Amino acid sequence: MRLGVNNARLSQEKKSVNAGSNPEVNRVGWFTKRGNVDVTFLIVVLLLLTIGIVMLFSSSHVYAYYNDGDSFYYIKHQLRFAILGIIVMVGMSFLNYRVFKKFVWIVYVVTLGLLGLALVMPAKRGEFHRWITLPGGGSFQPSEVAKFAIIALFAYFVAKFGKKMKTFRYGVLPFIITLGIVGGLVFMEHHVSGTVLIVLLGAVMMFIGGTRWRWFVLAFGLIVAGVFALVMMKGGFEYAAARLESWKNPYNDALGDGYQVIQSLIAIGSGGLMGTGIGGSRQKYLYIPEPQNDFIFAVVGEELGFIGAVLILILFGILIWRGLVIALRAKDTFGSMLGIGLTAQVGIQVVLNIAVVTNLLPNTGISLPFFSYGGTALLMLLAQMGIILSISRESKLEKS
Amino acid sequence: MATPDVNMKKKMLVFVLALIVIGMGAVAARLFYLQIIKNDEYSKQATRQQLRETEISASRGVIYDRNGKVLAQSATAWTVVISPVNIAEDKREAISKKLSEILDVSEEFVFEATKRETAYAIIKKKVDWETSEKVVKYADEINTGAIYCEEDSKRYYPYGNLASTIIGFTGYENNGAYGLEAYYDKTLSGSPGKVVSAKNAWGIDMPTTYEKMFEAEDGKSIKLTIDQKIQSIIKRNIDLAVKEHNVGKGAVAIVYSVKTGEILGMESSGGFDPNAPLEISDPAISEMLSNLSGDEYAEEKGKAQFAQWRNRAISDPYEPGSVFKIIVTAAALEENVINENFSYNCTGIPISISGQKYDCWKYGGHGTQNLTKCLMNSCNPAFITIGQMLGTEKFREYFKAFGLMELTGVDLPGEAMSLYHSDSVFKTVELASSSIGQSFKITPIQLIAAVSAAVGDGKLYEPYIVSEVIDSDGNVIKKNEPTVKRQVVSKETANKVALMCEQVVAGSGGSGKYSYIPGYRIGGKTGTAEKLDSNNGKYVLSFLGFAPADDPEIAVLVLLNEPAEAAYGSVIAAPVVGAIFEEILPYLGYEKEYTEKELEEKTVKVSNVVGELTHDAQAALRKKYLNTKVMGSGTKVLKQVPESGEVVEKETVIILYTDEESLNN
Repeated sequence: MRLGVNNARLSQEKKSVNAGSNPEVNRVGWFTKRGNVDVTFLIVVLLLLTIGIVMLFSSSHVYAYYNDGDSFYYIKHQLRFAILGIIVMVGMSFLNYRVFKKFVWIVYVVTLGLLGLALVMPAKRGEFHRWITLPGGGSFQPSEVAKFAIIALFAYFVAKFGKKMKTFRYGVLPFIITLGIVGGLVFMEHHVSGTVLIVLLGAVMMFIGGTRWRWFVLAFGLIVAGVFALVMMKGGFEYAAARLESWKNPYNDALGDGYQVIQSLIAIGSGGLMGTGIGGSRQKYLYIPEPQNDFIFAVVGEELGFIGAVLILILFGILIWRGLVIALRAKDTFGSMLGIGLTAQVGIQVVLNIAVVTNLLPNTGISLPFFSYGGTALLMLLAQMGIILSISRESKLEKS
Repeated sequence: MATPDVNMKKKMLVFVLALIVIGMGAVAARLFYLQIIKNDEYSKQATRQQLRETEISASRGVIYDRNGKVLAQSATAWTVVISPVNIAEDKREAISKKLSEILDVSEEFVFEATKRETAYAIIKKKVDWETSEKVVKYADEINTGAIYCEEDSKRYYPYGNLASTIIGFTGYENNGAYGLEAYYDKTLSGSPGKVVSAKNAWGIDMPTTYEKMFEAEDGKSIKLTIDQKIQSIIKRNIDLAVKEHNVGKGAVAIVYSVKTGEILGMESSGGFDPNAPLEISDPAISEMLSNLSGDEYAEEKGKAQFAQWRNRAISDPYEPGSVFKIIVTAAALEENVINENFSYNCTGIPISISGQKYDCWKYGGHGTQNLTKCLMNSCNPAFITIGQMLGTEKFREYFKAFGLMELTGVDLPGEAMSLYHSDSVFKTVELASSSIGQSFKITPIQLIAAVSAAVGDGKLYEPYIVSEVIDSDGNVIKKNEPTVKRQVVSKETANKVALMCEQVVAGSGGSGKYSYIPGYRIGGKTGTAEKLDSNNGKYVLSFLGFAPADDPEIAVLVLLNEPAEAAYGSVIAAPVVGAIFEEILPYLGYEKEYTEKELEEKTVKVSNVVGELTHDAQAALRKKYLNTKVMGSGTKVLKQVPESGEVVEKETVIILYTDEESLNN
């Protein structure tokens, strides 16, 4: 435990206890009034953001130059959203996270609306209907919002149902229905990775919230059977086998399906222990397609080497650990669940992203938090980090 | 307000620990595997795709003659390259038109090249500096980097077709393609260097400064035993002889160092220009080809090319005929089956060997002759008899010892093997024909090496043509020394044979008299071999001479393959060798030594040679103690200065004008 932080917290203890004894549960103030944010968490967030932005510039400038004629095309955009994101994060850290408890259904319904809107929006970037174009010319993926909606809603469920989570009626049914609708909509966008991520997040929330084991086992069995049936029904077995083969052996089609993964492996592998140094990547010279997006970690691995890559992993590890500590110290179940959910989202994405980039998992589109290009996604991420910071303000000192 | 219960917290901890330990642990392990364990493999893959290697040609070594004259040298040339991917579609036509104009290539070819999906297409190689400047200027005019010139080198042969069949030529990649250029390719070419630069996935060089240069190691030069001066003397003389006698299959000449094996000159008439090796040098064949087309043209042109590139002195075995009698004489003397007192009575009646009858070439026979006379007369029955006395076994033994059953090992490509009877069929009849140099074939280089052993010091040397290998700083890094293959006959025997051969040239009525030069001791032997396999009265006429006869150092072989008229080697090949000796012996520093009797008379009367064949005129004047200088390259003497009847001092140079051009100058 960090002494400095503990000392700072010691003085807050009384106030927290006082707040906890407040009998007015349902009346929620808009702003948190007490306590400092978790400094470690904040520092790690800012560190990751800084490194992420530096690496985004390093990985994107060549691609930007050749595709958009402006080396700064991506970094300018990302930097604007990062600054805006920091402001939003700070704002969020002052916002009483409990307001989400009140608006959880509104958030959910709005999410459904956005997902529906995306489906009717014209296809963009060859990625089906995943994006909503904003009037200003920007765009965002409603699945980003959906992740948050599920986390918030499930935190609300868990907090509300308490011991009843053991039952099917409370512990499974509401979750399955709400998750099923959102997941179904995202799946209809042909956004498989987004669907997987949302379902995974929902499952984690249910697992922590107290849903019985047997339902997970059953669900797992159903999913396997379902996927199998789907594959058989659509005759898509060959397609699936081909994807699997391309994953196991990308060199079979080195210039086609395997190209991106091979280029990524070459980048990471050639980085070695020390890497080529920041800016030293050669694979970003049009070898890795869109190196600023999902495969940005390939350039990170090449430029910063094994040491740099592991240091970044450790930073993410610290972030997740502090997220856990914050969740554990939260005074209320909703805050605790919300904190762990948002933390899990970052952690799962990091692991899945790097697993894909290193060809540990088949190639799917999962971005790397703080690093991958995407203004609204970064804005959402920082807002969520703000929520975790808000939760940290009311942390209890006692460890469970 | 619900507070998180302990169970929930436990599960949170379980989840986060699983995420960090299993999830992050797995990717960290994977990173370790890729970046540490597989680092080499991926680095290699990265290098393979990211780096471009541009070759720097090593400059090719020079080929020098024995006195340091340059026979082959490389100079800078340019390769015109375009980058089609960087040429806009609407500019292709204009660029194709202009480049085809400057470079003299078809517009269509350039246009096709501009359409290719590559950043590198060669338009023309071996372009000279002026042309390359035009290309660069044009590229500047239309302001494009997509057309440029790369430095390369081009091989130059300053003496044109002189020694062309020895030197050979280089191919488009500056690789040795033929002759010495091919045989010594590794030595001459050196190892190319390279510039390694990084490129992006589109093949364009990266704007980084990553560039590494590996210097080229220049090729080494070689110094030949060939003397350019001697080479041009023999070339001029055999070319003239070919014209004088309409020699159908051309002439071959070799000048050979008897006691070292060095080849001082080697020429096959005709040849080609190594600066343009693919062009047919013979105007008659060129003319014939122009009447052909299609496959026939290609086939005939190919044949003509190989024919003109052929070094016939080492690649074409022939029947040596009477020249071979030198070998038989040496073997018989060495084996003591005969001695100098051997005498043979040539009656003119054919002798019969196992039922096969052999005539003497002279109707009525030569009468009683001693061994020297036998050689002078080139008497066939005498040598058939000597051969029979030697016996098949000994004959074979010497045939082999003189190196006629093996390659000489000369450092030139394309040496052919001799053709001879196999042991099982070599009986007395075969021995009879073999004794007079018929019914087997050897190459000119084999013959001159064998005869040099028989008349020199009895040792068979390995012929060689490269004396030194010199590195780019001028240091001699390898020196080829004479190699003795074996002692075939004793020095005494060789001396005896050489002195008998001297009589062939100098003796009264000797068959080699047309190569006689008063003051020089020249030995030699004629050869007139009917080409048995052609069966239509075609002959190979030859003369092999050597000097000085008392201690032979220089041997000269001239063979004329299928002259138009039926003649004897003594009549048409001997004068050519005489003319060659007349020029090369003084050049090599040999001085004439006259007998006292010869010195008594200081002056001679010039005889008339106008109207005679050039070589015959020279031979006639030589006999009169006069030197000659041939002007022009005509076959007949049109005018002589001083004129006939004038009394001049011995050694006066008589100028022979042989063509109109020389008369006018």
